[in-house]
Amino acid sequence: MPLTMAKAGETVVIRKIMGRDEVRQHLAELGFAVDGKVTVVNQIAGNLILKVKDSRVALDRNMAMRILI
Amino acid sequence: MDIRIALAGNPNCGKTTLFNDLTGSAQYVGNWPGVTVERKEGRLKGRRDVVIEDLPGIYSLSPYTLEEVVARGYLVKERPDAILNIVDGTNIERNLYLTTQLMELGIPVVVAVNMMDLVQKNGDAISLDKLGQMLGCEVVTMSALKGQGSVEAALRAVKAAQEKKEAALPNVFTGSVERAIAHIEESIAEVVDKRSLRWHAVKLFERDRKEREALDLSPALKERLEAHIAKCEEELDDDAESIITNQRYAYIRRVVERAVRKRAAGHALTASDRIDRVVTNRLLALPIFAAVMAFVYWVSISTVGDWVTGWTNDVLFGEMICGNLRAFMEGAGCAPWLTGLVADGIVGGVGSVIGFVPQMLILFLMLSILEDVGYMARVAFIMDRIFRKFGLSGKSFIPMLISSGCGVPGVMASRTIENDRDRKMTVMTTCFIPCGAKMPIIGLFAGALFGGSGLVATSAYFIGVAAVILSGILLKKTKLFAGDPAPFVMELPAYHVPAAANVLRSTWERGWSFIKRAGTVILASAVILWFLQSFGVVDGALQMVEDNNTSLLAAIGNVVAPLFAPLGFGSWKAAVATFTGLIAKENVVGTFGVLYGFAEVAEDGAEIWSLLAQDFTQLTAYSFMIFNLLCAPCFAAMGAIKREMNSAKWTFTAIGYMCGFAYAASLIVYQLGMLLHGGGFTVGTAAAVLALAALVYLVVRKNRHGRAAGAATSVRAASLE
Repeated sequence: MPLTMAKAGETVVIRKIMGRDEVRQHLAELGFAVDGKVTVVNQIAGNLILKVKDSRVALDRNMAMRILI
Repeated sequence: MDIRIALAGNPNCGKTTLFNDLTGSAQYVGNWPGVTVERKEGRLKGRRDVVIEDLPGIYSLSPYTLEEVVARGYLVKERPDAILNIVDGTNIERNLYLTTQLMELGIPVVVAVNMMDLVQKNGDAISLDKLGQMLGCEVVTMSALKGQGSVEAALRAVKAAQEKKEAALPNVFTGSVERAIAHIEESIAEVVDKRSLRWHAVKLFERDRKEREALDLSPALKERLEAHIAKCEEELDDDAESIITNQRYAYIRRVVERAVRKRAAGHALTASDRIDRVVTNRLLALPIFAAVMAFVYWVSISTVGDWVTGWTNDVLFGEMICGNLRAFMEGAGCAPWLTGLVADGIVGGVGSVIGFVPQMLILFLMLSILEDVGYMARVAFIMDRIFRKFGLSGKSFIPMLISSGCGVPGVMASRTIENDRDRKMTVMTTCFIPCGAKMPIIGLFAGALFGGSGLVATSAYFIGVAAVILSGILLKKTKLFAGDPAPFVMELPAYHVPAAANVLRSTWERGWSFIKRAGTVILASAVILWFLQSFGVVDGALQMVEDNNTSLLAAIGNVVAPLFAPLGFGSWKAAVATFTGLIAKENVVGTFGVLYGFAEVAEDGAEIWSLLAQDFTQLTAYSFMIFNLLCAPCFAAMGAIKREMNSAKWTFTAIGYMCGFAYAASLIVYQLGMLLHGGGFTVGTAAAVLALAALVYLVVRKNRHGRAAGAATSVRAASLE
């Protein structure tokens, strides 16, 4: 299921990152890697604040939909 | 020969602090050719033969952001003698991702683990020996904030450069991936720089577009490479880019397992996370933001800022400098024209701008603190939902916020927006927000014609915001800005107590651009303006005139005035004021003061209210105000626009658009206002109706280009399958 379905406070493991473009590459640089853990810190209307590796990253809904957990 | 050391690292890893520490004050800021991201260059303290290059903060060497393009271009093409890679010890996994790429360039690398004190405070430990062993390069530790170990780190990099000790390639890739890359290396060994063979091979494996274009390989060779890549992809059932990314992270995990000991098991919520829970809360986010901003403006405009500005204007310039200077010059027997030039022209003109500086500095100080604390990044996140609706990104919000103080740093702040279209659109619209210097114009007309009503200032902000929103929607539908808005991806720094040095430096940088123009452009223009309005051609000879209606300035103003007649303010004085407003917006008030025969007027021009009321009606005053708020900004801001756009065409487009939009808005307001006041239907009314219809059409029409672009993408996607 997409990452947007995760609840605030939940820690999940990334299964797959969809799409084939530079944005996905950028997500990888920021630490979103398959089998890596992500914690949802907060969520407003589908936009997410996530904890990945040891940093916090904000993602909009469309981007979060592409990360499958 | 100078030794060049490049500082590379993730954004926010303490690179700039290190740079300032290493170079002291001997730095200068230069522009990279072709792009606007600044690179800093300075010489190492005590070692004049060592040049330190501060590269922009980057996450990797794939060109996603402008910063990455710049850094990659520099490292690959200009090849510094050594790279000092700063790694944030508290976030080592993500930071090492860039390190693995830097090692492939074949340039000596020294890794400096920063924020070691925080790592220890967290109860974690990093073994430098093991890290160095596994990475195959020298690893040192430092604390940039405390200035510990930074010079030693730089000297290690110098030593590595002198020994030309290239980093041994770490074993990042395994199995069939390593084999495929080795095959690619063999195939291209003859055509690329041998030292960075691994880098080129990995980029080709990833099918990096820039790399392919740059190398211009033969079709046969391309086919051979493609076969290697495809085979590997099939074997691992993944695409090449992901394969590389995953292997890099797998390698880093192996390194971290051996070299880093973590006390806590990772994902517990920190204090920053808990603060984020509150300030980005779905219900509380906007009220909290509104309260914070209200406080910032209350302090910087209404209370502290107002006292300081009042003191500077009335006491410092009014009494101490201007008054004493005039008395002194008159006493010394100077010619009256010289006294007039110095006291009225120079001190009056420049002083009116300098008087603004304290207020600006306080506003910038408050904004810098919010930025340093980490709140601004959250604001971008909160506002993204709203800004997306009219074609801008949440990151456009910070430039606009800063523009409410001064447009120059506002335009400069747009640099952090990665997407080229979003950045250009932000630069084009951010000056619509009434800046601090436009406040006196609003104050003047509110006082002279609207009985000091606070509604005038409120409506000015409303008009500014409406102009931004309408422009966002309207421009997004043009060919120039077609396409979907860029996705919002942004790292949020951890909250921390603001560092005084950092806050003061950024306040000063912003304030300085404001002060600098007071000493240059405004000084010159004050002198020219004073000359033009004091002298005139009388009886065929150039001489000083008593009545400024016969001055040179009046003659010039009269030529331009008809242009503004359809907007309701076709007098030469209004035309001249509009033009001097281009020098600095607050000049508009000063110009009216001078033109109505007062050497010095208060910031809101109270002395000339009655005279102004004779020349303007409420409607023409409002039209004049709208035009001056929305048209081309001051020269300083135009200069900033030119720097950020880095293209004459885009600069003219932006400024032309602003002037056009302002003219249309004033025309619509004035002409339709006249019609409502029983002015009858004239040619002007027809023009206004046409302008309004065109505006409405541009805003509501279907987004042809957006759809067309979308269709093109899906066609391309289809043909790929």
